[in-house]
Amino acid sequence: MSKLDLILMSIKNLWRRKLRTSLTILSVVIGTSAIIVMLSLGFGLTGFMEEQISQWGSLTTINVHKKWADPSQPGQKEVKLDDKAIANFKTIPNVVAVSPMLQEYGAVINGRYMAQVPFRGIDPDTMEAFGFEAAEGRLLNNKDELVVVFGSSMIHNFWDPNSRGVWREPKINLMKDRMSLTLDPNYGYGGASMGMGGGKEVNYKEYKIKAAGVLTEGNWETSYGIYMPIQELQKMVADKQKAEGQRQSSRSTSTEYNQIDIKVDDMNNVAVIQDLVKEMGYEAYSLNDQLDMMKEQAAMIQAVLGGIGAVSLLVAAIGITNTMIMSIYERTKEIGVMKVIGASIKDIKGLFLFESALIGLLGGIFGVGFSYLLSYVINKFGAQSFGEAMGVYGATKISIIPIWLVFASMGFSALIGVISGYFPARRAMNLSALEAIRTE
Amino acid sequence: MSELIVLKDLTKIYKMGDEKIVALNNINLNIHKEEFVCLLGTSGSGKSTLLNMMAGLEKPTKGEIIISNHHIEKMSEKNVTKFRQLNVGFIFQSYNLIPTLTAMENVSLGLTFKGVSRSKRNKMAKEMLENVGLGRRLHHKPSEMSGGQQQRVSIARAFVAKPRIIFADEPTGNLDTKTTLEVMDLMTSMAKELKQTLIIVTHDTELADYVHRVVYLRDGNIEKIEEKEALIKGDIV
Repeated sequence: MSKLDLILMSIKNLWRRKLRTSLTILSVVIGTSAIIVMLSLGFGLTGFMEEQISQWGSLTTINVHKKWADPSQPGQKEVKLDDKAIANFKTIPNVVAVSPMLQEYGAVINGRYMAQVPFRGIDPDTMEAFGFEAAEGRLLNNKDELVVVFGSSMIHNFWDPNSRGVWREPKINLMKDRMSLTLDPNYGYGGASMGMGGGKEVNYKEYKIKAAGVLTEGNWETSYGIYMPIQELQKMVADKQKAEGQRQSSRSTSTEYNQIDIKVDDMNNVAVIQDLVKEMGYEAYSLNDQLDMMKEQAAMIQAVLGGIGAVSLLVAAIGITNTMIMSIYERTKEIGVMKVIGASIKDIKGLFLFESALIGLLGGIFGVGFSYLLSYVINKFGAQSFGEAMGVYGATKISIIPIWLVFASMGFSALIGVISGYFPARRAMNLSALEAIRTE
Repeated sequence: MSELIVLKDLTKIYKMGDEKIVALNNINLNIHKEEFVCLLGTSGSGKSTLLNMMAGLEKPTKGEIIISNHHIEKMSEKNVTKFRQLNVGFIFQSYNLIPTLTAMENVSLGLTFKGVSRSKRNKMAKEMLENVGLGRRLHHKPSEMSGGQQQRVSIARAFVAKPRIIFADEPTGNLDTKTTLEVMDLMTSMAKELKQTLIIVTHDTELADYVHRVVYLRDGNIEKIEEKEALIKGDIV
């Protein structure tokens, strides 16, 4: 029997029982769209989480710290975060750039305005590789001394300490104004700045700075920060410690850093490199940790939702089996006749399997269509309230149907059809032709 | 005349609970090519069982069935199906047409399973239905036809692939006398024309007039074999 004849005959048989066929297909439609919509909510959730985390900072950056030496394990190897470590990290495949990183809190002063900010000392040559882009001016270069680059939202951080709580839009031009910075932690809050050592007043130095540029809008980390060459910041920290009367810790004078940032080319490589760095004896952290945890959570939610959907598809599968068994009972005699006049058992099996596969496939196709409709309605009318429930306003999409899911669910529902039809088809196949034709 | 069908010590025993029913008991029979044979007997004589076994629908308990040098009893289900497709046509008492298909579709169904192309099988079916006098009823469904007409469709279906052997199981059991004569005439003349071997199972002694040889069966044994001067159309010059 040719494939075309088999297909045509199956379609004809299904068409003969229009109502029953369409009801069975409907059950598959419901089952398939239940699964697709449930999964799409899971995908929406994952996408939403990813979007949120990427606002916190770069997903492709690993922060490396020194491991605190554990006194109980004396054999532990002491590792240093120095230039040698940087050179080492650079040799790891898929690493794009490595930069030391020093963060220190202080204030920027611009006339009567000031802003409390984190100063970040970095290797100026790696800025571009770390994904910094200048919206105005330029990025840092290695000849810069008291030159800084502002984060995109920095301008909104300036305020007038003498305004007594009344906030006015500060008139500031970051690129042209004369500015200075200080590492005085209490600057602008009045009162004497007290050193950490004793009750003595500390004279913090103020440094005149020049702005090289302002960054394009980035994530929360880069938006509120001021970047400068690390050597400059190290010098300032040394000055500060001197002023506070602290003994200079070895860290600030030697070439050892307290943090090194590693930029990786792709999000998927972060975990591997992070593990590698940990194996080398360092403490390594990336937003991937958070993302993984959230993804795990999302996957669990998705699994639960998908499970709910799967139940309805299971019911639909039983429906297919039932329909096919009924149809075989009805057609017992017909099957017998077909066998006697030359249908091979392969043909019979093929006919019934194709019929049930077709029910599954049609259910899958209509199910996908129906899911798109549902997904559209959810996104259109449900996104806002859902987003608010999640504590986020303006959530973009809560139901996402990836294109692979479309084909996967069509294939899967056809497969469900085949599986559901297998038992009835075997039954038809093994039907004794003799008994079948004797049935009156 | 060469032997087309050879039955050797054919035995069939059915088990009904603890009881054993001997449906066929050591049957030995040869059927020649182009011969018309009638298996005559009352119900329970084993005639239908014999037919089913020759057609490969049932396996014997013991013995051999050799059709043109092929051992049917040893063939796999797949090969028997293939063998049936190529060599055997069936006519039943209750016609066994598929109710949802038209006359033409019923006739061409066997060809479909054989893998004959659509245009070719439609042409063959149409030709065959014209031969049995149903040229005007090609697109009627079985329910729209009389018993005689339905049996003609069934004859057309059996003959359309031009098999070497035609098995007819009580072909006239549901028909009145006049139609019986028509159907038998049609069947025998077509088989004659196509040089086919025809094996008819019946309890109607009148059908014996249409064949070369009558095999009387009783309780699973061959009671007697009667050679006939067949009243086949075309035989009489």
